[in-house]
Amino acid sequence: MAAITLENLSKNFGAFAALKELNLEVRDREFVALLGPSGCGKTTTMNLISGLLHPSVGRILFDTRDVTPIPMDRRGVGFVFQNYAIFTHMTVRQNLAFGLRVRRLPPSEINRRVGAIAEMMQLTKLLDSRTDKLSVNILQRIAIGRSAIVEPAIFLLDEPLSNVDAAFRQVMRTELKTLQRQFKQTMVYVTHDQLEAMTMADRIAVLDQGILQQVGSPLEIYNHPRNVFVARFIGSPGMNLLNGRLSAENGQTFVDLGPAGRTDALPSGLARAAERAQSANVLVGVRPEDLECVDGATESGLTLVVSFVERIGHRTVVHLGAGAQSAKMTAHSTFVAALGSALRLRARAAGLRLFDRSSGLALTLE
Amino acid sequence: MAHIEFDHVTKRYGDVVAVRDITVTVEDREFFCFFGPPSSGKSTLLRLLLGIEKPTEGEIRIDGKVVNAQSPAERNLAMVFQNLALFPHMSARDNLRFPLVERGVATNIIDERLGGIADKLHIGHLLGKRPAQLSGGERQRVAIGRALMREATAYLMDDPISALDARLREEMRVELKRLQREIGHTFIYVTHDQEEAMSVADRMAILEHGVIRQIDPPQLIYDRPHSRYVASIVGAPTMNFVAGEFDGSRGEFRSADGALKVALSGYCGEATEAVDLAFRPEDTVLGGADGMPARVVSVEPLGAFSIVIVDSGSQALKAMIKGQATPSTGDIVTVGVTPSRVAMFRHGDGRRLEADAHHPTINIKTAREETQPC
Repeated sequence: MAAITLENLSKNFGAFAALKELNLEVRDREFVALLGPSGCGKTTTMNLISGLLHPSVGRILFDTRDVTPIPMDRRGVGFVFQNYAIFTHMTVRQNLAFGLRVRRLPPSEINRRVGAIAEMMQLTKLLDSRTDKLSVNILQRIAIGRSAIVEPAIFLLDEPLSNVDAAFRQVMRTELKTLQRQFKQTMVYVTHDQLEAMTMADRIAVLDQGILQQVGSPLEIYNHPRNVFVARFIGSPGMNLLNGRLSAENGQTFVDLGPAGRTDALPSGLARAAERAQSANVLVGVRPEDLECVDGATESGLTLVVSFVERIGHRTVVHLGAGAQSAKMTAHSTFVAALGSALRLRARAAGLRLFDRSSGLALTLE
Repeated sequence: MAHIEFDHVTKRYGDVVAVRDITVTVEDREFFCFFGPPSSGKSTLLRLLLGIEKPTEGEIRIDGKVVNAQSPAERNLAMVFQNLALFPHMSARDNLRFPLVERGVATNIIDERLGGIADKLHIGHLLGKRPAQLSGGERQRVAIGRALMREATAYLMDDPISALDARLREEMRVELKRLQREIGHTFIYVTHDQEEAMSVADRMAILEHGVIRQIDPPQLIYDRPHSRYVASIVGAPTMNFVAGEFDGSRGEFRSADGALKVALSGYCGEATEAVDLAFRPEDTVLGGADGMPARVVSVEPLGAFSIVIVDSGSQALKAMIKGQATPSTGDIVTVGVTPSRVAMFRHGDGRRLEADAHHPTINIKTAREETQPC
């Protein structure tokens, strides 16, 4: 058992508040990603869990045990950093075995575990190579393997894939997930890459400026962002946010988007949520895949001008603008549109979200 | 004008060949990208072009003139490095002014140029700040601005945005491409991120161990990779490969485990060849009538689409499905592929098995070009 409870955790560096009143529970055997831009407090949180830093306020529990006063080396957590620290004078085997030898495990057990972890991390052929000539990709594998081999109940990873190349990152995402399932660890993973968080995590905790913005499963966060920061940060590209004004007509609610046009009638749930708005000035959120081209003959809808077209493999990202508003639409790779041409678009009603413009919070019925 | 040619260029360091027999022409005003995994020779090519390194063999020409013997200064190329190298004690403004002040350019000319560049890069409001007061993206823009201050023949960039956050990278690559279009200069760009390369490049050269494997526009590289290597490093998630053989006389591919058979007419030759059948995750069909049975191993929800990994017993395959409705882990599904969307690569040399050029059903390029009306 290894649940982690962070209670009212704050960390100040002089006058700078790196982390503010964080409350977060990581369940036993759960894979939680701490996600946010640089400076959001994710690494600080990680360092507090490991014991590398001591909180200014608050406490940390492993299960029911308060570990706040316990130093790093006695917390028994596994830790992989962005900059792996491999012993270059040792072979791959010696690096992997290091933690077990320190713990004085019998040689037969060390051999068995080294063999198993090498197999899993695809290092078997390299076991007797020296590490000083190996690539960054391989070194990061060794670093992960070396931490995993001691089978810590809690495994912390701080951007372990940000220095490896893109193709390898893909492979490692799958492998880390497999590793976690196999060892049944509680894993906390720090990343600025929403794709990594979405593909690996059971739950994602989104942080910005030292404040927890939202915690939820990848799809909860994707489908129901709590505020505009989360809406923009999750997704590739992120959610479009357009300035609009609520308007009513024949008992239905619409959002007027100025030069960009007007939305379809809001679905009833969203229309009721809109009644809670402090002001008629709102932000309309719509994901790039929820914008679609419509026949020019329809009356309502949006009109946006193509400012840039980005073709990336199986999809095309169309950058659009109207006055001060801008938006992105994803389309099939065969989509063609001339720069400067106006597109008639519709935002799928089910994909519409509303945010209060001054607070940035989502308008919902809950 | 900048017409840049590598003509049979090889660079050796002792016994190690960094790049071998490179021949490529970058056209004036082109956004050209060198793409490959780490240590495939990309940065060596930039250093050779800059003049920091000399080729062991071959010629480098700029606008028709051989520059092998020229110093970096004589070549008049501007470079943006991966680590930016801004002066920390100077304001952004002084960092931008520096290259021209060094050359003794008149102050009014420097300031005029600075105004124009600051506008284009949207950094006017940052000019009074020092690098330490800027965010990563802002620093990046200042570094690019500094390179652009000089009227250079071409602008070289070595992985200039790889150190930024993922979200910022997505924005910066579009900014860079827009900027290049706007100012109309030649950009030569090195990256190890395939999505970034596809997004910015007019054409890209794919490198492997110092050798160019393909030069084409990004979409052509994606749709018609010449070799298994190129197919495997472009596209995310990566392409699926199923080992088996192609029976030319019957026009049929059979997987090695016998589970997958795909009728493929239009290929030349009668022989039976050992090949890999290759298809992209977005062309993988789950639940079709004539697929092979497979078990769902994992589902990665990405919101706009989902990646479903299935295990057919002999291998793992990836399918990309639009939306969020997917089968569940543990489900048994059929997995197949649209015949018009596959490629075959020979075992051994990894070359693409070419279809009969006149055959309509197999020409992927043709199929792709039926544009979607809007």
